[in-house]
Order: sequence, then structure tokens, then C-alpha cells
Amino acid sequence: MIEWLTKNWLSITVPAVVFLSFFVVAIWARRTVCNYLNELLSKIKWEGREIFLQRIRLSFFQWCLILGAYAAIQVSILSPYGKALTGKILGSIFVISLTWAIINLAEKLLKIYLNKIKALSLLPTNLIINAVRITFVVVGVLILLDIWLIPTTPLVLVLTIGLLVIILASRDEILNIFSGFELARGSLIKIGDYVKLESGEEGYVSNITLRNIQIKSSDDRTILVPNSKFTKTTITTYRKPLKKAIQPFRFYTQLHIKELTGLKARNLSELVSILKDVPDSVVYYHTHHFVEEYQYLTPQPANEFALWVSDVIGDEILAEKLSNIDTFEFSTIGELRERVIAVINEELSTRGDGRTAFEGREFHFIKSVSVILPTPYVAHDLREFVEVLRKVSIDSLYFHIFESRLRLHRGVNDFSIWLQDCLDERDLADKIAVLDPYNYTLEGLRFVIIQLIEERIK
Amino acid sequence: MEKEIFHHPKAKIQDYVPVVGRSTIEELRALAERLSGKVIQNINSTFTGGGVAEILTRMVPLLNQLGVDARWTTIKGNEEFFGVTKKFHNSLHGRKEHISSEDLSLFLEVNKKNVGELIFDGDIIFVHDPQPVALISEKKRFGEKWIWRCHIDVSNPDKRVWEFVRNFVAEYDAAVFSAPNFTQQLPIRQFLISPSIDPLSDKNKELPSEVIDSVFDKYGLDKDKPIIAQISRFDYLKDPLGVIQAFEMVRKSIDCQLILAGGTATDDPESEKVLDEVRERVSGNPDIHILLIPPESDIEINALQRAATVILQKSIKEGFGLTVTEALWKGKPVVASAVGGIQLQVKNKFTGLLCHSIEGAAYAIKRLLSNPEYADWLGKNAREHVRQNFLITRHLKDYLLLFISLYYPSDVIYL
Repeated sequence: MIEWLTKNWLSITVPAVVFLSFFVVAIWARRTVCNYLNELLSKIKWEGREIFLQRIRLSFFQWCLILGAYAAIQVSILSPYGKALTGKILGSIFVISLTWAIINLAEKLLKIYLNKIKALSLLPTNLIINAVRITFVVVGVLILLDIWLIPTTPLVLVLTIGLLVIILASRDEILNIFSGFELARGSLIKIGDYVKLESGEEGYVSNITLRNIQIKSSDDRTILVPNSKFTKTTITTYRKPLKKAIQPFRFYTQLHIKELTGLKARNLSELVSILKDVPDSVVYYHTHHFVEEYQYLTPQPANEFALWVSDVIGDEILAEKLSNIDTFEFSTIGELRERVIAVINEELSTRGDGRTAFEGREFHFIKSVSVILPTPYVAHDLREFVEVLRKVSIDSLYFHIFESRLRLHRGVNDFSIWLQDCLDERDLADKIAVLDPYNYTLEGLRFVIIQLIEERIK
Repeated sequence: MEKEIFHHPKAKIQDYVPVVGRSTIEELRALAERLSGKVIQNINSTFTGGGVAEILTRMVPLLNQLGVDARWTTIKGNEEFFGVTKKFHNSLHGRKEHISSEDLSLFLEVNKKNVGELIFDGDIIFVHDPQPVALISEKKRFGEKWIWRCHIDVSNPDKRVWEFVRNFVAEYDAAVFSAPNFTQQLPIRQFLISPSIDPLSDKNKELPSEVIDSVFDKYGLDKDKPIIAQISRFDYLKDPLGVIQAFEMVRKSIDCQLILAGGTATDDPESEKVLDEVRERVSGNPDIHILLIPPESDIEINALQRAATVILQKSIKEGFGLTVTEALWKGKPVVASAVGGIQLQVKNKFTGLLCHSIEGAAYAIKRLLSNPEYADWLGKNAREHVRQNFLITRHLKDYLLLFISLYYPSDVIYL
């Protein structure tokens, strides 16, 4: 052994000296480079400085040692084949170390930056980090294969085709993700906004994910809008936070069917006589059904008693008096019935019975049977209320304004009651309560109420 | 006999959204949900021909689409039986018919035979018109509720026939009539449900102007002259001679043309005679066009109605008058006699003009021809009036409400 060392001491010493020299230079260079970088990065106040320097400090030293080993082998007495083999091994170690360092650095930097993006919940941090890891690992593996002279072209081809297939198969998803980034980056919407889409869908934004926006509609449905669609459509956003009602307003609708009573009057005396005894639902029908039947007319024809007296009995004076009965003045059907009877009786006492209706033109007493059922629409605040009001049927509007007020003996419309009791919106409640609904078409009434509320929440 | 396939035009319930609005269809669905689990069995006498079959052909599939289990069954009868029911029909309309006791026995016998053959599988049995009325004898054994739907005007019936039918009707849970003045006093609940038109049918759908122009060309009509049209079958009750007289009064002061278009009923030998009389009366007058329209010409009728400036319906007696509904739906100013169901549709000076005489009709036509803005206003109101009250969607709503209300005695029902 001693003999061998004596004979070959130079062949051992030279590579060892070269390696040690690199070791010393590495310690010096690491300090110098790190100090320089530290100073440089301190000036630009980069938050990734510490992570970057720590990573560089460790890796730089490793790379210097690998370089030292490579140089030592090159000056050694190893055969050309041995030199080439160890060169490849050292090259491979360098590539692995570099890949590891880049992955490690990228992961830590990504965490910093992804945390800084506003809509964090939207971004799948783990997914992005994993994608970066895989990308660098793939690149590292390709370089390693190249070092060991293994053909990489087929692998690159397979990977490219695979990537294309994935992109094509999930192009909608990718569009959604990119749109999601756009949504996250911008200030287009945020959770809690009230949005109205071009398609007519609307509601509060309840969640924003990478793939879609979740909207809670006023009829308690969850609408999922893909991000890509959302960024392309026209949306109206109402951001002003509105006061929530103590109790939500549930919209009902009322539909009615006509039931014949079998009673009919041929003249005014018979009209009064029957009118005294019929149920409230009959009086209600003949003083209200025109509101729906002629909802497109303004002013609407007066009550049916006035119409019949004019068209069939031909007593225009009485017809005018009956037309002039202001239904809005009465809070019960009983009072309204008394008024109609009083007006006809007054006429009978002064001018007698007048004409008798021809056969087939008698006044038929009809009863209104109402079916009341809930709609899916609920409003928790004024914004939701006004948006639902735009789309409920006129039957629903009719129910809350007319039916509740008079037939169900509530004295005032449902909207005003809710606005006052559940939202403390006294002024708005009063403004709607004093509207005389008999002076509007139902669509006209809808428009006026919407305007009043819009004015309030502007 | 169960009908399995309904050859209804392709209309789907969703297709009506642009016509009546989404909320109306939503309400229909909400009502239909309340009938979940109930089977509605319609029973009439035929799957084809006649107004009832036409209504059921459209209504039953739409009810099914809404989720209601509606079915349709017909009774079987021989020619003799339908001969008797035709006489019943005429008698109930007020025409004199000789109905023997053998006829009544045959009627009962066929109904009884059908009781044995029919499968009663409905919770609500909805019987249409007098032909199957005696099936009510099975009320105790089948169904929860029985309804009799009367599609005809029984305001002035032959008393003997009505008494015979009334005995059966009184056993039902409810009866349904088309107009208040079509009814009779009955000891059961009576509902009022007007007929309807289908806005998507060939007779009522929107037409391209080329189709209307082709009808102008086909019948040699002058495009530049206002058109007064009465489109109705040739029948004395439609007063075609009165229409001609009214037109002649108008024509003295306003340059216009008249179209009298319609068909002749195969079961009415009088209609040929009426047509001959009308033709003779107008011979040589180039401004009057008498058009005999073959059956199944719905698009042509639609085009003629749309081409008209004023539509007239000067009936002496009328059922509901769906031809008036069709005219109103097309936004046309209508002049019509104040008879039958026309009064429900034409509210004088709001949705059209009512008349009571030939002179009244002439005066109303002149008012409309010389005031196109007023005519236009009436036409717009008329269309909205039909949209609100006489479309098939309203008919569906009424049927659903009817079925539901049978289970509740009160005037206000909370569901």
C-alpha cells in the first residue's frame, strides 16, 4: 500500500489539491456572491429575498463542490471512459440538485405571491404548485436522459400530444380557470354582491370558485354560472349593502275561478234585492274582477254594476253615480256593498225602476273563488324585493295589493305592512299605501312601486 | 277505448311563454303540482270532429306536460244512438225535435252498455256534453268527484229533454258552463269557464305578409280598399243578408269592399240555400266577395282575418262566438251583435263595438273606418283582452282551479 502511495502520490495529490482549492474558493465565492446579492435585493425590498438567499447559499456550495469534483477527475489518471462516466454522474447530480433547488424556491415564492392575490379562495394553490413541480421534474428528467444519451424525441412527442389532448378535452375548464383568474385579479364582483345577468337570472353572489360563480336567487335556487360565461355576459352589479328585513317577504299569488250563483236580476229592484243577501265574494267579484280582466286599460271600466246599468238598463245618470263610488275609500266589502245599495236605492226612490233587461242580458251574480298559493320568490331586502317585483305575475301583485287589503280585511296592502314592520321603511310604506290602485293598470302600478323603491335604494 | 297518441300540433307548454309570460306558466305548474297523485279522466263521445274533441286534443297533452295525469276516454255508440244525441243537442239549443220514448230508452241503454265496458280509472271524472251524461250512475263505485262540462247553450232548451238530462246532471258534484246566460238553475255548484283559442294553432298564429298577399291574389281582392269581413258559416243565424245591407249603407259614403267567407255545414241542409240566396243578392256588385272556404283551411281563414280592416259578426243568435275571439286576438277592430258569448268578449267601446241592428252595425263600421286611430286603440285592447281572458293557458288555469276547488268548500282556498 505504502509502496503504491509512494509511486502514485502525485496522481492522488493533484486531484485532491484541485478539489480542496475548489472547496476553499466555494466558501469564499458563496460569501461574496451572497453578500452582493443581499445588498442588491435589500435595495429593491423584495419579500422573497430571505428565501432566495437561503436557497442560493446551500445550493451554490453544493454546485461548487460538484464542479471541484469534476475538475479533480479531469486532472486525475482515470481512463477517458472513466472520466466520461464520472462526468455524466456528476452532471446528473448537478441537474438533480438544480431541479430540486428551483422547485423548492418556486414553491416558496409561489406561496408568498398566491397568498397576496385578493380572492385567495378562488385559486387552487396546491394545484398550481403541483403543476410547477411536475413541469420542472419533467424538464429535469429530459435533461438527465439527454446526458445519458437516451433519445428524448419520442418522449417529448408523447408528452406534447398528451398535453394537447388534455388541453382540448378541458378547454372549457381552462377557459373557466383563466376567466377565474381574471375575476380574481379584477374587482368585477365579490361575494355578497347582487348581480343581474343578461339572461335574466339574478341574485346574491354566494361563492366564487375557480370554475364558476354561485348565485343565490330570490326563489331559493342556486345558479351556477361558469366563469367563462360570466366574463362574457353583460351583468349589472348592485354593490350597496342593504338592510336585511327582520322577516323575509314571501310572495304569494292568487288565482280565481268564477262560480255561478244561479241568481240573476232583470231590473234595478231585483239587483238591490239580491245584492243585499249574496256573500261578500260576489260583491268582491263584481267590484274587482275588471281590475284583472281589463288590466291593460287605463282608466279601467268602473264596477260591473255601473257597466250593466249603462249598457243594459240605459240609465246613464245612475251609471255615473255607481262609477263614481271610490272603492279605495272602503276597508271592508260590507261597507262597499252598503254604498252600492244606497246609490241604487236613492235612484229607485226618485225615478222608479226604469227599464227591464232583455232576455239574455240579465245581471248574473257570480262568485269569485280564490286559490292562494305561495310563489318560490322571497325577498330579504329592498333590492331583492324590487327585482322579484319585476317578475312576479300580475296575479301576485293583485293579491298583495287588492285581495289582502279588502277581501282579507288587512286594511292596507301587504307591501306597506312588510316595509314598515320588517324593514322600518315608514316613508316608503306610506308612499305605497296612499297609492290608489284603482287608478292604475296592474302593470302601471307595478311600475310606480318599482320606481318608488328604486328611488329609495339609489 | 283509451287514446294513446294525441295528434296535437307540436306546441309545448313552454312555447306559450312568449305569448303569456313566464310567470303565467310558472303558476300553471304550481297549480298542477297540487293535483299530484290525482287522475283526471275526460269522457266524451268522439276523439275527432267537433269542438269538444278539438279542445281535448289540445288540453290533455298540455295538462300532461304540466305533470297532471289527465286521460281521455270515449263512449261507444251506434249511428242510431248518435242520431238521438244529435236530436238532444238541437233540443237543448231550443230547436223543436221529435224525441220518442224509444229514443230515450236507446240513450239509456247505450250509456248502460258503456258503463259495463268503460274502465273508470279517474279520481276526477270529467264528463263532456249530454251524450255520456248518464254514466253518473257509477258515481258511488268510481271516482272521487264527478263534473259535467256543458259546451252548449241550454238557456232556452226543450223542457222535456232538459228535464231528462237535468236528472242526471243534478247527481254530479259540479257543472261547468261557458257563459252565465247559457245556464239553468241546478242544485249543484256551477262554474263558469269560457272556451279559448290556441294562439299557436294555424288559425291564430302569426303569418308572414306573403301568405296574406297570396290570399289577396287568390280571391282577387283589392289591396288598396278597406276590407270589411265576416268569416262565419253560411247560416241565417249569422245574418249574412243583414251584413250585406249594413255594408251597402257604409259603401254610400266610404269606398270599401266586403268579404263574406265561410263554409257550409254538411249536417245543415239550409246552409246551401243560404249561400244561394246570398249569391243572388250580391250578384253584380264587384265590391262584395262571397268566398266558400273548404274545411281545413285554417291558414286561409287566418290570412283573411289579418287582411281585414274591420271584422263583423252580426249574428242573430250565437254560442260563445270563437270567431270573434280569433278576430280580437288578431288586434282587429270588431263590430258584433250583443248576443250570446259575444258580450263577454266585446266590451262596448273598450274592446270593440256592439250593435243591435243593421243600422247600428253600419254606423259602427263607419266610425271605425273614418277613425283609424280609434280602431287601432280598440284592436290593441282587444288583443290584450284575449291574452288575459280567452287563450288556452287561461282555459288550463281554470280547469286546474276547478279540480282543486272541488276539494274545498270555501271561497278562499289557501294551498
